[in-house]
Amino acid sequence: MTLTVELRRPVEELPEALKPLRERILSNLTMLARLPAPTGKEQDRVQFLLDRFLEAGLTDATTDEIGNAVGRIRGRRGNRTILAAAHLDDIVRPTQEHEVVVRADRVIGPGVSDNAMGAAVIAMLPAILEHLNIELNSNLVLVGSILSLGRGNHRGIRAFLDQYPDDIHFGVCVEGIELGRLDFFSIAMARADLVCQVRNGGNPSRGYRAESALVVLNQIINRILGIPTPVRPYTVIRMGKLRAGVSYDTEPTRALLGLEIVSHDDEQVDRIIREIEAICFETSARHAAEAKLDVFFRTRAGGIPFGHRLVSSTIDVMRSLGIEPDQRHTPSEVSEMIARDIPAITLGITHGRKHERPKPDYVLIEPILRGVAQVVGVLLAIDAGACDGI
Amino acid sequence: MVSEDWLQRRTYHHTNFWDIRWLLQQKERQGLRISLCLPTYNEEKTIGQEIVIFKAELMDRFPLLDEIAVIDSGSTDKTCQIAAEFGADVYIASEHLAEYGVYRGKGENLWKALYLLQGDILVYVDTDIANIHPRFVYGLVGPLLANPEVHYVKAFYDRPIAHSGQLRPTGGGRVTEILIRPLFSLFYPELTAILQPLSGEYAGRRSILEQIPYPVGYGVETAMLIDIYQRLGMEAFAQTDLDRRVHRNQDTVALGRMAFGVARVFFSRLRRDGKIQYDGELPTLMRQFEFADGNYRLRECTIEEIERPPMIELEAYRRKFYPETVASASEAQAPAADTA
Repeated sequence: MTLTVELRRPVEELPEALKPLRERILSNLTMLARLPAPTGKEQDRVQFLLDRFLEAGLTDATTDEIGNAVGRIRGRRGNRTILAAAHLDDIVRPTQEHEVVVRADRVIGPGVSDNAMGAAVIAMLPAILEHLNIELNSNLVLVGSILSLGRGNHRGIRAFLDQYPDDIHFGVCVEGIELGRLDFFSIAMARADLVCQVRNGGNPSRGYRAESALVVLNQIINRILGIPTPVRPYTVIRMGKLRAGVSYDTEPTRALLGLEIVSHDDEQVDRIIREIEAICFETSARHAAEAKLDVFFRTRAGGIPFGHRLVSSTIDVMRSLGIEPDQRHTPSEVSEMIARDIPAITLGITHGRKHERPKPDYVLIEPILRGVAQVVGVLLAIDAGACDGI
Repeated sequence: MVSEDWLQRRTYHHTNFWDIRWLLQQKERQGLRISLCLPTYNEEKTIGQEIVIFKAELMDRFPLLDEIAVIDSGSTDKTCQIAAEFGADVYIASEHLAEYGVYRGKGENLWKALYLLQGDILVYVDTDIANIHPRFVYGLVGPLLANPEVHYVKAFYDRPIAHSGQLRPTGGGRVTEILIRPLFSLFYPELTAILQPLSGEYAGRRSILEQIPYPVGYGVETAMLIDIYQRLGMEAFAQTDLDRRVHRNQDTVALGRMAFGVARVFFSRLRRDGKIQYDGELPTLMRQFEFADGNYRLRECTIEEIERPPMIELEAYRRKFYPETVASASEAQAPAADTA
């Protein structure tokens, strides 16, 4: 138990103290979710955050060189700098109607859970701290990051971390769901598109004639399924996306497989990438096709130990709020902080659903105040020195 | 005549009033209360976000609004439950002023809002708007707080229609362009300067709203414009561009019925104002045809457009808002009774 009694009691009282802000949090969530923000086109959400920061008196709020929304609340002493960040982009198609419905118990709409909810909390943090009369000793830097998902490859947060002039001592990433989520380590991961293009014209292959790209890709998938994935270190290949063809009667000349390789060991990911590249090379030769693996997203294994006081204090904060910690790993921008030796965690705000089409995304309203209280509680714990060291 | 000068002076953009702190200062300086009325009937899909956004931005952050009230026509979905959950006052229209009869329609709800709500300024906002934003209120309140000569402010938009999950760039306003604008051009040409006379969002001072009759149905917006115009002239009006309004489209059959109701209200004003003459009352039966199973089929619909009297004429209203006038009237009658 690392959280002092002096800290635990105020943390327990936070959800009640936050009640007058419930509609403001929901209002921010709703308005953010209605702004389309595909990766690379997050400007409207960036402006929304900057407006909120400026309204709250963060007079130096601005975009950084790459375009992240950045605001800073100066601490009384400024002896530490805490980074609180949420990614602003989502995977909702910009042409899709960004309709948000607020029911009595939930908010429904594309991208509300990933990550309009997290962005809403970052937008509201200055107002939340002011409402609670909390003035931190530490500097608090708020970032709404762009270029996070997919081919964005965390470029926004990486650029911020590379360019921010002051040392950052702790990081807190905020995601919409799930409440209880506690990520404090990063696993090795690679995301890639495998594109298979059948060659048209020229001399036909001597071995095989050109086939449907779908059939060739199927051959590749079968070969990938044969790649050994050890239980220890935990290693898995997930094939999550498949695209090919436009009509029933025309064999496609192009097919795409989206896949993810995850492991607790960087070497396993490197090995699997090499093996898939070899499969692509061989299949291309045999099937008169061009198969290429494009690895566009990488994270390296690492993290802070379970015994780090940031982790134990966060668990204390969660439990004092009746939140059961869930330490399963989910990819987030925390990996970029950990890669720079910044002790960092990812927290979820509420329960809900994401990316289960055709079912709509949603977040539950009732847990939100506990989720926000948890973020504030962790900031208080860091500020009080309860998270320093192991 | 349509005055370009009026258009220049009285046409605003909502960004003219983005500084809510300034609006709040004006409101407090003038000692005004502002009420938001949301008329509803089965709007569970949109009512939650409207109330959350208006309450958060215009009550909790800046107390520009003194009350947010839903006046409901008997919704059978969860409209009222959701509205109450997020802090709106919820009134079932049929449960109030029932001694004056009970009708169903948007105009009925707006009329009863005058009695139920406290504000010196009332803001009416439809509840089918998918892209609701605080500008839908502060853009309408702004001209009233900035200029004491303005009594009534109307919204206008570039209105895309939500359709099959995609957005089309523009549309809406068909009844306006095909019916209202030609009629205004013929009989009330100055009112053609009101760019979207049928828009569902407007704000007015109680002092004028209580003086005019309210049709209970489709014609309420048209009637308000003509009746305020007749009493106060164009200088009482202003209009604000609220940019985009995303809402569900109505089919042509529904718009036809709406046009019928609006036309009845319009013609009753023309007769009242001596602009046309006709005997008896206009028919209430709207006839439309549909093609089904290889045949044309007649569909008849009765649209009455009942009108509520000016609220100031109701004793219950005067007793609530002007008790001194009711008391003095009683006192004035008392000696006569004694004498008798």
